[in-house]
Amino acid sequence: MNDILTAASAVFSLHALLMIFLGAFAGVIIGALPGLTVNMGIALLMPLTFTFQGMTGILMLLGVYCGAIYGGSITAILINTPGTPASAATILDGYPLALKGEAGRALGLSTMSSLVGGLFSAICLVLVSPLLAKVAVGLSAPEYFSLAVFGISIITSVSSLSIVKGLMGGALGLFIAMIGLDPMTAGFRYTFDSVYLMGGISFVPVLVGLFAFSQGMVSMEDSYRGGENRKVQVPIKRILPTWLDMKRVFPTQMRSAIIGTIIGAIPGTGGDIASYVSYTEAKRWSKHPEEFGHGSVEGVSAPEAGANAVAGGALVPLLTLGIPGDGATAIMMGAFMVQGLSLGPLLFTEHPVEVNTIFIGLFVANLMMAAIGFAGLRSSAKIMDVPRRILVPIVLTLCAVGSYSVNHTMIDVFVTMGFGVLGYILLKLDFSMSPIVIGIILGPMAETNLRRTLVMSQGDYSVFFTRPVCATFLVIAVMTLFLPIVGPKVWAWWKKRSGGPALVEAEGKE
Amino acid sequence: MKKISVLFVALLSAIGGQALAQNITYPTKNIEVVIPKGAGGPTDTATRTLIEFAKNKMPKGIIFVPDNKPAGNGVAGLLDVAKSKPDGYKLVMTTVELAMFPHEGKSPVTYADFTPIVAGVADPVVLVVKADSPYKNLKDFIEGAKAKPGKVQMGNSGMGAVYHLAALNIERKLGVKFNHVPFTEGASATVASLVGGHIDAIITGPSAAKSQVDAGALRILGVMDTKRFELFPDVPTFQEALGQDLGLHMRAWAILAGPAKLPENITRELTTAFGDVVKSPEYQAAIKKMGIMPVVIVGKDAAAMMKEDHDTYKVLIEESKKK
Repeated sequence: MNDILTAASAVFSLHALLMIFLGAFAGVIIGALPGLTVNMGIALLMPLTFTFQGMTGILMLLGVYCGAIYGGSITAILINTPGTPASAATILDGYPLALKGEAGRALGLSTMSSLVGGLFSAICLVLVSPLLAKVAVGLSAPEYFSLAVFGISIITSVSSLSIVKGLMGGALGLFIAMIGLDPMTAGFRYTFDSVYLMGGISFVPVLVGLFAFSQGMVSMEDSYRGGENRKVQVPIKRILPTWLDMKRVFPTQMRSAIIGTIIGAIPGTGGDIASYVSYTEAKRWSKHPEEFGHGSVEGVSAPEAGANAVAGGALVPLLTLGIPGDGATAIMMGAFMVQGLSLGPLLFTEHPVEVNTIFIGLFVANLMMAAIGFAGLRSSAKIMDVPRRILVPIVLTLCAVGSYSVNHTMIDVFVTMGFGVLGYILLKLDFSMSPIVIGIILGPMAETNLRRTLVMSQGDYSVFFTRPVCATFLVIAVMTLFLPIVGPKVWAWWKKRSGGPALVEAEGKE
Repeated sequence: MKKISVLFVALLSAIGGQALAQNITYPTKNIEVVIPKGAGGPTDTATRTLIEFAKNKMPKGIIFVPDNKPAGNGVAGLLDVAKSKPDGYKLVMTTVELAMFPHEGKSPVTYADFTPIVAGVADPVVLVVKADSPYKNLKDFIEGAKAKPGKVQMGNSGMGAVYHLAALNIERKLGVKFNHVPFTEGASATVASLVGGHIDAIITGPSAAKSQVDAGALRILGVMDTKRFELFPDVPTFQEALGQDLGLHMRAWAILAGPAKLPENITRELTTAFGDVVKSPEYQAAIKKMGIMPVVIVGKDAAAMMKEDHDTYKVLIEESKKK
């Protein structure tokens, strides 16, 4: 108890609160700018923490972490460009909702969902971290592989227009992810002696090109064709989501928060995967799956709650095992080391005050993030009112800056432009971008772990069926993949035969 | 016309003046330090600590900007700096892989493409098992591996990297055969997998395993060095545990270096600054906490170590290819 009080007094000092606030504020802005990701935000601000005394620097990083994951959703909803990979799933329903003139509602929901997800995962971190850590290390290569396959199977449910085109996009994404070094033998693949390709194509420039740059080109075309025919933005009447909305999305938020916390706790997986999985599960369980892709309130809430829940989850293996749960916590680990905190099983007994400071700090960081989000909601929604001919050049400039800053190389900027043109062509052909992105995110995870499993089992495929968690995921993956194709036919056959119960109807529509 | 020529002269002198100013004092702007490994790993934290302490030795306002480029097992980051202008504003934390990759056709650059400044790490390699593993000591382990060739799962952080070659060296010298499981995600992924009991043993650096060993979850069976490791004084060397000298000495170093042909004055400036850092007790205390033993290997000594290992691994890799 004494430890908690000491920790609380450390967090609730003016200095620490100010630092968390500044961190969260910087995080929201970094997250909102396309190309600047959560990891980069933390890496950028980490050197500052060296100069702070004690835990203040780490508290600031927690603020950046929470803020940046949330910040990505602002641009995703307002200009159809994910600020960070973690909010790529948010555009699926956030932007359609904003186009309907309900940008305020979408932003309010995404902010609230981020808060709910973040707080839930913080509670999990405090209460069940030893258990979660056990679950996380209990998973091995076969489970990672099946999780990745499950993630890839989502492609059929996020490609609303054509499943075949979705699968083609997914295959393209998997191909892009294959370029570079072979993860198992360290040989070169599709590198053509190019130094740049040896390291593989960086993910962020591709993401920025596919989503932001291509959108810029579409907007240019629109204004060339005959100016702006957009709906005038409905003035924002309220900032907090309505009680009715909250009641409707609460189960979705909870489900996504659980998914996000668990995915966060698994080393090597992060917000980008969590948001897509949360989105698909929201669609699967929704009473109105047909609204998804057209501005569903659950579709906005799910990815945000899932992505922000990753924060608390990712801290679980970091604190309890000294193994980072995602890229952002991997960078934070350095900050802990510098403060002389050796992370791992002994942290809780040797440094109880510091552990409690992190716990309390994470709650405060989430609240700060939501406060900044709600306070800035009216002004950020004004982005919608900026004429496209002014907004588009700004966004394109940010795209170039963001892609350059990933590896400090101009090649990444050209990659962004190349993928921007590709994205534009694919948009014209009614492809959606999400399957490509999912392929790139999950391709390496699936490949590495499939091959690692087979190395470990010496070529025996039966491990995929004998391990319960692995088998379960694979079965769900197969169902997710084929239900949208086979489902309607089964339903029609069932109806013809007997009229079928309501349960089958719900499944058939997925 | 006259106006233009006046302007021209003014412009020229401005450019000249600036160039002069740069020659006189180095550094005048921030120095980028490429870390060819993932953020949060042992190389990363060691580098970040080193440059943090070195900041005070630089003119006020100048900082070192760390930049993680882990792609392609770090080759991209090495190339990036090797090809950069030797002006002292771009340095790289080269790792022991630089002594191996050229022999494996994975890296077009070798130690000769760099100007070494200081060694941040020169840690021995250790063999680690789970605390409840049936292998209580190194002898048990080797006998166990001999009993079922190709079955004992040995985790490493990438094929052809130092820990994999260390395992190959054990195989070669002791006549055993492991099932090598690479974790390209890095050393912490191998530790996680070992803690979860998915593999039998790993070869890694002492710092990556330290917190788990301290907590009693993992056990170090042996150090591949000529002497015991100071932070784990109870752990025997391979030589002691097996009662014979097999020449199994492997160290994972990380040497901060600039591109080749770094001007003399810049090299001197950097080696002096970093030499002071690695000798300072504050720095040594800080990295000890991370499980890294402080070493003082600066300038020419670091260059000698790079060359020596380059030649050692050349032989080792060629022999492993023959088999």
